[in-house]
Amino acid sequence: MAISEADVRRVALLARLEVTDEEARSLAEHFGKILEHFHRLQELELSEVDPFSLEGPGTPWRSDEAKPWGGRDEILSEAPRREGDFFVVPRIVEEE
Amino acid sequence: MPLSFTPVIGLEIHVQLATVSKLFCSCSTDYIGQKPNTNVCPVCLGLPGTLPVLNGRAVEFATKTALALNCRVRNRTRFHRKNYFYPDLPKAYQISQYDLPLAVGGYVELTEADGSKRRIGIQRLHLEEDTGKLVHIASDGRLSGALYSLVDYNRAGIPLMEIVSAPDITSPAQAKEYVARLRQLVRYLGVSDGDMESGSLRVDANISVKVSDGRWGKKSEIKNMNSLRAIERALEYEIERQSSMLARGEEVEQETRHWDDAAGVTRSSRSKEEAHDYRYFPEPDLLPLVLEEGFLEEIAESMPELPWEVFKRFEEVYGIEPEDAALLSERRDVAAYFEACVKAGASPDKAANWIKTELFRVMNECKCSADDFPVRPEALTELLRKVEQGDLSATAAKDVFGLMAGQGLRLDEAIKAAGVSVGKVSGGALKDIIDEVLRENAEVIEDIKSGRDKKGKKVKFLQGLVMRRTKGQADPQEVSELLDESLNN
Amino acid sequence: MELWKLPAWKIAEEVRRGNLSASQVVESHIRRMESLEPSLNAMITPMPEEARRRALAVDEALSKGTDLPLAGVPVAVKDLLCTEGIRTTCGSRVLGEWKSPYTASAVRYLEENGAIVIGKTNMDEFAMGSSTEQSAFGATSNPWDLSRVPGGSSGGSAAAVAAGYAPIALGSDTGGSIRQPAALCGVYGLKPTYGLVSRWGLIAYASSLDQVGPFSRDLVDLALVLEVISAYDPLDSTCVPGSRPRYRDALKAHDLKGQRIGFLKGYQDFDMDDEVKEKLAFALRICQEGGAEMMEVSLPVSTGYGLPCYYIVAPAEASSNLARYDGVQYGLSEEGKSILELYLKTRGKGFGNEVKRRILVGTYVLSSGYYDAYYLVAQKVRRLIADEFARAFSAVDALIMPASPTVAFKKGEKLDDPIQMYMSDLFTLPVNLAGLPAVSMNVGYSKAGLPVGVQVVAPKWGEMEILKVASVLTDAVGSPKVAMGGEG
Ligand SMILES: [Mg+2]
Ligand SMILES: [Zn+2]
Repeated sequence: MAISEADVRRVALLARLEVTDEEARSLAEHFGKILEHFHRLQELELSEVDPFSLEGPGTPWRSDEAKPWGGRDEILSEAPRREGDFFVVPRIVEEE
Repeated sequence: MPLSFTPVIGLEIHVQLATVSKLFCSCSTDYIGQKPNTNVCPVCLGLPGTLPVLNGRAVEFATKTALALNCRVRNRTRFHRKNYFYPDLPKAYQISQYDLPLAVGGYVELTEADGSKRRIGIQRLHLEEDTGKLVHIASDGRLSGALYSLVDYNRAGIPLMEIVSAPDITSPAQAKEYVARLRQLVRYLGVSDGDMESGSLRVDANISVKVSDGRWGKKSEIKNMNSLRAIERALEYEIERQSSMLARGEEVEQETRHWDDAAGVTRSSRSKEEAHDYRYFPEPDLLPLVLEEGFLEEIAESMPELPWEVFKRFEEVYGIEPEDAALLSERRDVAAYFEACVKAGASPDKAANWIKTELFRVMNECKCSADDFPVRPEALTELLRKVEQGDLSATAAKDVFGLMAGQGLRLDEAIKAAGVSVGKVSGGALKDIIDEVLRENAEVIEDIKSGRDKKGKKVKFLQGLVMRRTKGQADPQEVSELLDESLNN
Repeated sequence: MELWKLPAWKIAEEVRRGNLSASQVVESHIRRMESLEPSLNAMITPMPEEARRRALAVDEALSKGTDLPLAGVPVAVKDLLCTEGIRTTCGSRVLGEWKSPYTASAVRYLEENGAIVIGKTNMDEFAMGSSTEQSAFGATSNPWDLSRVPGGSSGGSAAAVAAGYAPIALGSDTGGSIRQPAALCGVYGLKPTYGLVSRWGLIAYASSLDQVGPFSRDLVDLALVLEVISAYDPLDSTCVPGSRPRYRDALKAHDLKGQRIGFLKGYQDFDMDDEVKEKLAFALRICQEGGAEMMEVSLPVSTGYGLPCYYIVAPAEASSNLARYDGVQYGLSEEGKSILELYLKTRGKGFGNEVKRRILVGTYVLSSGYYDAYYLVAQKVRRLIADEFARAFSAVDALIMPASPTVAFKKGEKLDDPIQMYMSDLFTLPVNLAGLPAVSMNVGYSKAGLPVGVQVVAPKWGEMEILKVASVLTDAVGSPKVAMGGEG
């Protein structure tokens, strides 16, 4: 299955990865090879297979207790851009 | 034939659950008014290497709501990741439920203005985590034109219950009623404060319009409706907008629109640079959500009487007028207060009257709940009894009630403090007061004696003064007799 | 005495008896590390000063009578396990100098038992690779032949143990990232059953496959470390509650009487180095001579389709796990006029080629219109693989399989051909897809002097079983030698 550079760019935007023209070209080629490999999976009879079993133990439940965490300053100090107690990002045009 | 337009409305409601800790970490959910980024930890900030652990209470709350909404609750479901990039979403995915929500297929029953019943279907109810908050204010306080936005993750990870209705709603009034019923329910169940202004309960609407000629417009999604009134207005506006477009033969676009409450219009959200593609897949950091044997039964047993059941009972058992029954059953604390009064011996009518006027007035002032209202139902009942026996006038009782509520006085203390003696002011005591009033109103007496009070208005005026001075504790008949006596002397 | 040659259990014993101080032990290992590091580049962040400080603290605690089963044992830690106060890079530029405010549970358990972290080891960026060449901090060399790779992605940990920086190390295994480098460096490497060891503090690559596990040159050490790191941890919802066995007890086994050992039917026909086939046959013979009943097992789905299945499932999860590296809260952050530009640039610059490739593949297979054809199909195949192993284990107690189809390959040899690189994990990744435990161990050396390994696989929670087989194999082949790391 051929993958176009446009496909690569669409996926790259979805994944928020900047790719150069050169990268888009080589990735398209690589993608093609990989997808070819993936198509072998279709040789298998899978119609009866339930892929996501809900069997087995359930996820553990925590009791509802609030415990403050003391390390916020360490975390804020890692912020690339910070204003007071806030993280800073480029202006967001209100969309939702 | 002129065209007619029928709106088709479905609502998606996000309700913040009233747990003390977040959905997947132990941070406090008490975020309103907190300093930014204080209720945070490595988990809700999505730091590398951190993992979620589910808050069991959130499951209890969502299950309880689902059962009250007549939903089918599933014993085994799972969480998914909903992937998208946005700075208020620390992990760049939201843990939510997707193909297997906790509950499906319930309904809410509404009473229409004409008294008829109508069921609004609930398609699904699921659990998910809230996002952080973006603040669009520059450091110098400018509201607009800021060069950057600020991010606060205090809200990130608070448990949300998403309730999706079927597209069964056909009018803005119905939509408003549906939300009001849900809000009342979550408050009754104690699973959320249901506050719309602060965002504890957030409503998005999907609305499209069907035309009588068979055309059907695409739906728009309306956001940012922060009150019941806003929901009604926004939907009215949107029906008008879509209908008139369709009437002109235009196409209605599928889009997201924001309600601007001040301007009273919906506006198209600036279009996004790409369509959403959330790439849902099962959350590998959690095992399936399993409700153990007996869990549903336990939740069902702990279920309080639901608001619509209380309403019905107030109407049928106590013979309360529907309007009053609605008022009294609106809140669980008030309903319980009312019933306690009746149990203590108050007449349902009198208690209802008193609660909807006096209790509501004081509760509004002190913003307290009926559960911790300083005048307990037994004390109010006792007060009402004194009024009924004629020991206190209605006016005096209000003063006494005010003192009991405001200063926390006992009934007898309040009566003393209000300066109203128990029983009627009569005989000599009343005579003294009348004499006092007459002394102070010599001119009026002159008028009366000189025959200038043909219609008896001035005598009535004097009677009023006396009644007021006795705080209504005198028998009007006796006042009239004694006053006549004095005037004729 | 060259303290850096001692096994961990021996170090702990001597330090607890007071015959050695933790400081002496740590000093010896630091010197070894410092002398070989210029040629090996096994570490991203060596921690000599922190280790010296910790050693003093351990000695002090011992003098106060605290019991520390791993007293003074140096440990090297793969740089995707968080260590409070020390940067954790994942072999990437995207995390910058980020320091976690917490320590991974597996590391914390070791430290609480007296072990001393001597540094953070090199790895393929975000554990995506099989050669430790795809690290933002340069490639690691194989201590047996500096022109060759140590395997990956935990190549730094494997090389560090092989060369004597530390008797034990921690790595992570998502598709073979412990077992393949263990084989290529000639040491033990154990991938536990999914859910046995806490993943708290392990920076995720593919969450449903990742497990933390130990490396060692001594089998007792391997079991001992597993006992410590496998403690139940409520911070990881997928970590299975309950107590763990005393894994060292499995090592009392000196024969395999009554055991049924499986091997891959027609393994001679698989695309593998001849010397790897020979050593595999040798290992099977040892088992047979040890009294095991040998049985042919066929795993057509696992060996035939495991690779494409893995390269859908793992990148899909990775695309989501790695979405958080966006330049807002920590790490690398490029300037952008809009949030979109900031995301694109930060992530475009922060990630290396292989990581980008897998993020894109993962995004693609989950995206609308492709989910059913790829992700869903792969999950179904994964289920078939798990079922296939389960069936095999109804007939055998353990399986012996190749750990890597080749001995350590030359640096650069497979870099330009990702699929060739992916083939390195052909025999290891089905084990992750099925969530099983496996140990990889040395069974000899090629004519060129390169280590050759095999892996022993068991059903879920079969760690005792694989250690038993490993014990019998070790009796026959001896413990792994220390690699000279280019020295002498
Ligand atoms: Mg939602
Ligand atoms: Zn938190």
